[in-house]
Parts: sequence; structure tokens; C-alpha cells
Amino acid sequence: MGLFDKLAGWLGLKKKEVNVLCLGLDNSGKTTIINQLKPTNSCLGEKNWCHLLQAQAQDIVPTIGFSIEKFKTSSLSFTVFDMSGQGRYRNLWEHYYKEGQAIIFVIDSSDKLRMVVAKEELDTLLNHPDIKHRRIPILFFANKMDLRDALSSVKVSQLLCLENIKDKPWHICASNAVQGEGLQEGVDWLQGTD
Amino acid sequence: MASVHMEMKDSAVSSSKWLDAHYDPVANLYTFSSCIALADLHGDGENKLVVGDLGTGASNMKLKVYRGTGLLSENTLLDLPTGLVSFLMDQHEPCTPAIAVASGPFIYIYKNLRPYFKFTLPTLEVNPLEQDVWSQAREDMIDPMTLKEMLEGIRDKADIPLSVRSLRFLMLEPQDMEAYVNLHKQQPIRRQTVITCIGTLKKNMADDDAVSCLVIGTESQEVYILDPEAFTILAKMSLPSVPTLMDVTGQFDVEFRITIACRNGNIYILRRDSPRPKYCIELSSHPVGLVRMGKNVVVGCAQETLHGYTQKGKKLWTTYLPAPVTTMAVLDLPTRGFQAVLVGLANCEVHVYRDKNLISTIKTPDLVTSICFGRYGREDGTLIMTTKGGGLIVKILKRTAVFDDKDSAPGPPIAQSIRLNVPKKTKLYVDQTMRERENAVAMHRAFQMDLSRMRLAAARAYVKALESSLTPMSASLTEPLKMNAVVQGLGPSFKLTLNIQNTAACRPVMNLAISFLYDENLYSMRTAFFKIPLLVPGLNYPIDTFVECLSDKGISDIIKVFVLREGKSAPLLTAHINMPVSEGLALN
Repeated sequence: MGLFDKLAGWLGLKKKEVNVLCLGLDNSGKTTIINQLKPTNSCLGEKNWCHLLQAQAQDIVPTIGFSIEKFKTSSLSFTVFDMSGQGRYRNLWEHYYKEGQAIIFVIDSSDKLRMVVAKEELDTLLNHPDIKHRRIPILFFANKMDLRDALSSVKVSQLLCLENIKDKPWHICASNAVQGEGLQEGVDWLQGTD
Repeated sequence: MASVHMEMKDSAVSSSKWLDAHYDPVANLYTFSSCIALADLHGDGENKLVVGDLGTGASNMKLKVYRGTGLLSENTLLDLPTGLVSFLMDQHEPCTPAIAVASGPFIYIYKNLRPYFKFTLPTLEVNPLEQDVWSQAREDMIDPMTLKEMLEGIRDKADIPLSVRSLRFLMLEPQDMEAYVNLHKQQPIRRQTVITCIGTLKKNMADDDAVSCLVIGTESQEVYILDPEAFTILAKMSLPSVPTLMDVTGQFDVEFRITIACRNGNIYILRRDSPRPKYCIELSSHPVGLVRMGKNVVVGCAQETLHGYTQKGKKLWTTYLPAPVTTMAVLDLPTRGFQAVLVGLANCEVHVYRDKNLISTIKTPDLVTSICFGRYGREDGTLIMTTKGGGLIVKILKRTAVFDDKDSAPGPPIAQSIRLNVPKKTKLYVDQTMRERENAVAMHRAFQMDLSRMRLAAARAYVKALESSLTPMSASLTEPLKMNAVVQGLGPSFKLTLNIQNTAACRPVMNLAISFLYDENLYSMRTAFFKIPLLVPGLNYPIDTFVECLSDKGISDIIKVFVLREGKSAPLLTAHINMPVSEGLALN
């Protein structure tokens, strides 16, 4: 890093770039969360806000393979790998572990049945050689908290045995990606760890 | 400490191929594999579990729908369900399947979980004699006791069985008969059969979202195929027995195959355009579960066995199970190209078989009464089981699970089951076998005759040899002797060693001599006669002599050796020595 870059960093002109992996089972809301975090919608008027978001959430189709999204927050420049959560694409995840500097793990908190599957995928992730010995921050979104039969974030962290993660910083927050609730809290935490 | 914990957890997790998604021991779900189905009822890509709950006893029969871990809806059923299938009636958007519940003589069709249509089986022919008797009763021409006697007569003789009304009447106590007759005599008699099993058959396309016909088996030993929209009977086939289990494959308009296990312990295979079964498999015990794996049929039998048959009824293999079979289902993962059979056993285990090999065992907390494998919710490999105590178990096959093709049960090595390449029987072999079969008696007699002759000839030769002492063993009791001869050398001179032994217990033998007889043109011997010293019992006496071969023509002859007793002309022993060809001379 050259002197100019450092200077720009101190002055806040050039933002630090982070690669983030967005993982989770299919239909947990990864793409919706990423779309929410992209601040492209902020230029629209308040009136259309809600209406537009609902339409957006409905338009989302299952991701095939993965898609790359870039956006900036106040201090960081994010490059997010939005991985597909479908069973047949989950073996792609591990190829991106090396590049990832942070992980966002999204859980559908209303899908009690597949909580074991999410746990299984999380355990596989944590035991992967590219992840196991790194202090990589993991942000959990207990998504779909607005649904009637959704589990609380505490319950989700219990079911996933998050208390066993001792060597990595992690944080869980309940979210409603369609309305954008809880997302900022998570991203703020992620910025704080870097 | 943390890493130890992790490792322990790892080993526990990796040992299992299944994730325990849900277990509710008090789900109050009492059902069998025939009354359980997975279907995308709302067209939202999320499969629901549809269960025909048999309830407890004669009440609480319900049609239950589960979504995830929770009950989504409940409909009361009027009668015990015998079968439940989900099928597409039409291809109108959105594509939501209908549910068909068979109970008694009816099929109740539900669409969007609302009653939609009720199909009733056609009534059967009523015995005219029975009809006559009841019409007499209607006009009060006969009293209930006479009616009973006449009906009993018909029951014992007639080809067409009695209606349910008459049978129930015959069970009544005399005081109740009058009231029963008065209550029922005005209605016409109907004889109805009930449905025993139900299945679905694609109409004319093999796609997943193609329209399906219903296939039903009845107590009257018949199979009906119903139109998916109008519920008219498209085809009717009859069986030699009452069907109990059914598997259907193919398309109605093209070609189909219905495999049916019947109450007489046979499996029949019906095909398109054949009103009677095409093939029959006779089992050694009653079938408990029937599953089709590709082109083969796998049957679980009451004698704790699992058999594999081809679709033409040829037996492929048999596996012995550790406990009786309670239920069976197919494990089909088309995305991974994997198929296996799930067998619920009475020892609270579910075994996964691929062909005859046990590839996985699942222990369950209770006896499993129904198994269903397929897509549930959004997960493709979900195993759903209900237990005897009314529990519901949901397990999910791990994404990373790999099944070994090997048999995990201990048993004989694989090499034992490899078929040897035995050549086909030749025509000669077949002809010989035929001849032997036809002339068995004559051949046996001829053989016995020849055998007797041979024995006689052998005995004669033996006696002759003993009488003339031609053997190298002495037969006389006073001089028990044994001799053998060894020839050494290549020629023209040979060394001849005679080993003589006295085999008596304690008596020595004296005054013996040895003489040789040979062709003098061929051989010459340094000493053709010599005396033998006293023979001590048990010791071996080697006696050497030298033979010179005179011929250079490469011929050889026999030299006879006689052991003689002084003063006697007949020899005690005789030995014939086959002389080898003289090689030394031939070389010169």
C-alpha cells in the first residue's frame, strides 16, 4: 500500500475493501438482504419506499450459482458473493472461503424443520480448513422474524449451537429483509470488527 | 477443550447419514404407508405431508395436512381410509394436485383441501334367490325364522354371495329379527364391494406434472382404472384373488404394468389390453410390502424375507431379515441417481437395501408403521415415518451422505456370490442324459453283471498267484517274507538291489536261496543264484547283484526273481522286474 493510499484511507477518501460471503439455505432471504443493503433505492421518495420493496421481494428468483454485488457504506466498500443456497449449488461455497474476509449466514427462522440442515451446513463451514484456523467474523441473520411462527434469535442461536464458536467473532440479529429491519444493526457490527 | 468437543461431535455426526429434523412422539398420527403422501398442495413449491389418519378405534378418522413441523389443516373423514394418493386431475394453472382418499366403497376427492367429488364403486349383481326371498318378506308371506332358514340355504349353496343386509340379518338374535326385517324390507337389496388399495397411473405423458388416472383394487377381486376428470371407468380387469398392495407404472394410453400382491400370497402382473394377469409370482409366504425398483419388484414377506423379482416374475435374490417387516417404501433420489428400498422392521429399525445389500440402518424410538420418502417442504431427501404409538419422525438425508455399494451386514464374502461361467450343455451331453434316463435299468444290470465278472476274474487271478507264489509277499505261515527290488544305473550295466525282510514276530528264517530267470541273449548276470543268510525278524537285508545288458537295439525285458527254500521246487516268492532300456549302449 503506497503512502498516498494510506493517506487517503486516513482522510476517509478511499474506503477499505472487504470481500463478504453471503451463505445460507435456499429461500432464507440472502438475495433480498443483499438487495436491501445496496443503497440504490435511497434516491426514491419515501412514499414509494414500502411499495417498491414488497414488489422487489416478490420478484426475486432463486439464485443460480452465485452473483457478485458491490456497495459502499460509511467506512467500507463491500464486495458480496451472494451464493445460491440450493442443495446442488452448496458445494460451490467452499471454493470462495479463501477470498472471504467476513461471512454473512442467513437463516430462515420460520423453517424449524430445516434448522438441522442449516446447522449441518454451518458445521461443515466452520470445520473447513480454509475457515477453521482463521479469525473470520461471522454475522448471522435470523431472517423472516415477521412471520407468525418464526423463532427468536436466541432460540436460533441455541439450535445452531452458536455458543460453541469460541475462536471467531460472531453476532446474531433478528431481521426482516423485506422491510429492511435489523439489517443495519448487523452491518454496523461487521464494520466494527474490521 | 473446545476442539475435543468439536471432534467428538464430528465423529457422532459423520457416523450418521441422516439429520434428525423433527420428532414428535405424541403427534397422534396413526396410519400406514398406503395412507401417506407428499404433495405441493398450494402450488408454492413447498411440499406438504398429507396423511389419512386412521384415528383410534372407530372414531377420529381425519385427513391431516402438515407443513414443516406443524399441522396445517384437518378434515374429518367419514370412514376408515384404506388408501390415499395425490394426483393431478387437470393441467389448469396453477397446477395443484387433488387428494383421493379411498374408504369403503367410495373415493373422496379433495381439491384445495375442500371436498370436490365422491366416486362410488358400481354395485354388484344380487343373487335372484335372495331377492325373491326378501320380496316375499316384504309382502309378509314369510316370517323372520323362515327367512333366516332360506337365507342360510342360499348362503351355503349359491355362487353369488349374500348382500351385507342378509349377512347382518343372519347374525341377529331371534328377538331382534322382526324389527330388522320391518326396517329394511322396503329398500331394494344392494350388494357393494369395498376398495382395498389405490394407486395412480399417468394418462398419456410421463412428465411429473402430467394428468393421472386412479387405479383401484377391490374386495370383489377386480381392478378399475378411472378417468382423471370424469371419474368414469376406463378399464376393468379381474384377478384370481383379493388385491392388497399395488404398484403402477407406465401410461394408460401407451403401455402400463400394474403389479399387485394378493391375499392368496401371489403377485400378479397386469398389462394393457389384458383383462387377466399376464404373469404370476407365487410366494412362499404372504406379502407385507411391495415396492418397485426400476424394472424389478421387491417384496417383503411375512417369513422375515425380502425377495427381488424381475417384472416377468423371475426371482433374482433373497435376503433374510432380522425381524418381521412392518412396512416398505422406496427411497428415490433422481438428482443423485440413487434408488433403494426402505424396510420398516418390528425390532424398531428401518433398513435401507440396495438390491440385496443392506447399506444403512436407522434406529427408531418406536415401531414404525408407515414410511414415506420424498420432497417435503423444500428439502428433497426427506424421510417421514409414523410410529405405532402415534409419533411422527422426520429425517433429512445429508447432502454429503454417501452410501457404499457394499453390504454392511456381516456375511459371506462377495466372491461367493460371483457367478461362475459354466459352459452350456452340449448336444452330446443331453443325448447321453436322455439315453441314461431311458435305459437306466438295463444299464444298471449290465454294470452289475460286469462288476461281478470282474470280481470273479480278480479273485481267480489272486488265488492262482497265491498258489504259485507269484507275488512278492509270502503267503506261507512258516516263512513270512517281503521283498522289493530296485534297479539302478543307465546301462549297459545295472545294479539290482533286492530288499528282503522277515515279517514274522520272532522267528528267524534260514536256508533260503535266490535264483533269477532271464533271457540269456539279452542279459548276463555275474551270479544268477546265491544263498541268503539267516533272516532276523524286522531287519531289512539288501542284496546286490549286477546285470549287464548285451543288446544295443534299445529293447528291454523282464527279469524274474524267485526266493526258494532248500529242498523245495515251488518258490516262496516271485518278483518281476521291468528292466529299463539301456541308454548307455544306445548312446555308443
